[in-house]
Amino acid sequence: MEKTVILGSLARAVVDMDVVRAGEMAREAIQCGIDPYEAIMDGLGKGMNRVNELFEEEEYFVPEILLCADAMYAGIEVLRPFLPKETEWNKRKAVIGVVKGDTHDIGKNLVKIMMDNAGFEIHDLGRNVPYSKFIDTAGELKAELVCLSTLMTTTMDGMQVVIEGLRKSGISSRVMVGGGPISPGFARDIGADGYAKNAVEAVRVAKSLLLDTGFSALIPKKPELVSVKRGREGAR
Amino acid sequence: MNSADEMTPKERFLAISQGKEVDRLLVSPLILNFASRALGMKVRDFCTDGKNMGNANIACFKKYRHDVVYIFSTTSTLAEAMGTRMYFPPDDAPQVETPFIQSREDLKKLKPVNPEKDGRIPVYLEAVKRCVESIGNEVFIVPVIGAPFTTSAALRGTEVFIKELYTDPELIHTLMRAVTQSVKILIDAYVKAGGVPVTVEPVATGSMISERHFREFALPYLKEVYTHIHSHGLPGVLHICGKTKRVIRCMAESGADILSIDNIDLIEAKELVGERVCLMGNVSPADGMLKGNPEIITDMVRDCISKAADNSKGFIVATGCEVPIQTPHENMIAFLEAGRKFARLPIGLN
Repeated sequence: MEKTVILGSLARAVVDMDVVRAGEMAREAIQCGIDPYEAIMDGLGKGMNRVNELFEEEEYFVPEILLCADAMYAGIEVLRPFLPKETEWNKRKAVIGVVKGDTHDIGKNLVKIMMDNAGFEIHDLGRNVPYSKFIDTAGELKAELVCLSTLMTTTMDGMQVVIEGLRKSGISSRVMVGGGPISPGFARDIGADGYAKNAVEAVRVAKSLLLDTGFSALIPKKPELVSVKRGREGAR
Repeated sequence: MNSADEMTPKERFLAISQGKEVDRLLVSPLILNFASRALGMKVRDFCTDGKNMGNANIACFKKYRHDVVYIFSTTSTLAEAMGTRMYFPPDDAPQVETPFIQSREDLKKLKPVNPEKDGRIPVYLEAVKRCVESIGNEVFIVPVIGAPFTTSAALRGTEVFIKELYTDPELIHTLMRAVTQSVKILIDAYVKAGGVPVTVEPVATGSMISERHFREFALPYLKEVYTHIHSHGLPGVLHICGKTKRVIRCMAESGADILSIDNIDLIEAKELVGERVCLMGNVSPADGMLKGNPEIITDMVRDCISKAADNSKGFIVATGCEVPIQTPHENMIAFLEAGRKFARLPIGLN
């Protein structure tokens, strides 16, 4: 089979949520002598990029992304043994988790999938993660980015504890936050470096955070009602 | 009675539903676990003991005189009663720990709920009865039930469940049928206890699934639920938080009379479904109630009323989702005062 056809089929299998076909085409890629790295990047990865677009166009929702990711990983599983050890991926390290007290992790999992596909080396701490675990892991890995997620109003303040802990420990990782109750205003108030409203945007914010130094949140051209009215020293 | 009010919450609710003259719109922040704070209780003590849950809600009503008293701790309470194991943080709402349906085989283990015995339904029932007895002459007591899609997700594990919309639709429908039967049993039990049950379906939010999936997997069972609620002569209430723009037309087709909505512009909601249903919402729980201040909250309440008070099927001033447990007292007061002032009829907004 021709290389372009195989790469196209790999991408297609991801977009079509077809786990079986993704595995088959990955094996086909190996048989035809296609560079496994290329099969991932220009085949499976390209498919996942299309999934991002479909998500932004509100054609795809959470079940679709999860299943597309299953297909992508099924392909990667087949290709992985053929990758040269320690391939020069030059991945940037990120730590991700749902803060203590909260076990809702679907949003976090979506961000993880998208960041992984975007080329980050992402370390998933899971859900209900103690504050110190974020700080310790970020320090040990010298992670460039820490991503905090929560769906609950009772646990959102924990993000601030993590951020303060990181700063106190002299860890310079940038921090990106997100989740149901989180707004750009809240993110700014607790000292986060960035806010993303969904998984696709998380990748863009993450990339922009590692480029420049300012607060990054892609949506609020006009800042939100709350943060405007409250200003910097507003009541809490 | 609050000095700004001329009717009791119950009189107001009844007058509105019968199309009679009324002093103002209903003002109904979604006070759920927040009620524990009226007696300075930890949430775990509140939601695991019917006496506590009832007494705290009674005290909370006496403190705030809000228009509806909800009995609720988590959307997974029915799933818990049917077998899902929960984890109870000391001072926060319970969360799913281990879903009951671990495999297709486990479907056989599903049994219709027994409200007298299973899980914490007896806790809810006792809370309802206590409230009905103590304050039921002044306000409707409204136990909140996780609707079929949400309860099924908590029985199967949400992430697995939503993937199976594609990979095993038959399992989904089998589960949904069993759960719908239990939802109806639970409705009957709450009605018998003197409550006015309502349903919440947050897992079917547009933040999660497509309109196509809502239509195929959530809507038929919601219709069955509201037909059943209507058979008791009660209104159907459907709450879905998160983004609902994509699914709100389906929500209106469910037969629910009132849609409680969160992350959607009220003008947009009004244009999409206002001809068919009463709308309810949508002050931000996090940016408003928890992190805002009285001035911000007053503006938010006023904004909601200015957008939706003229909805043809009516409007209820509410929060978009649960009032956060740590909401400051003065913020709750600000919400209710703004509601009483701006929702007074005729709407003047001055």
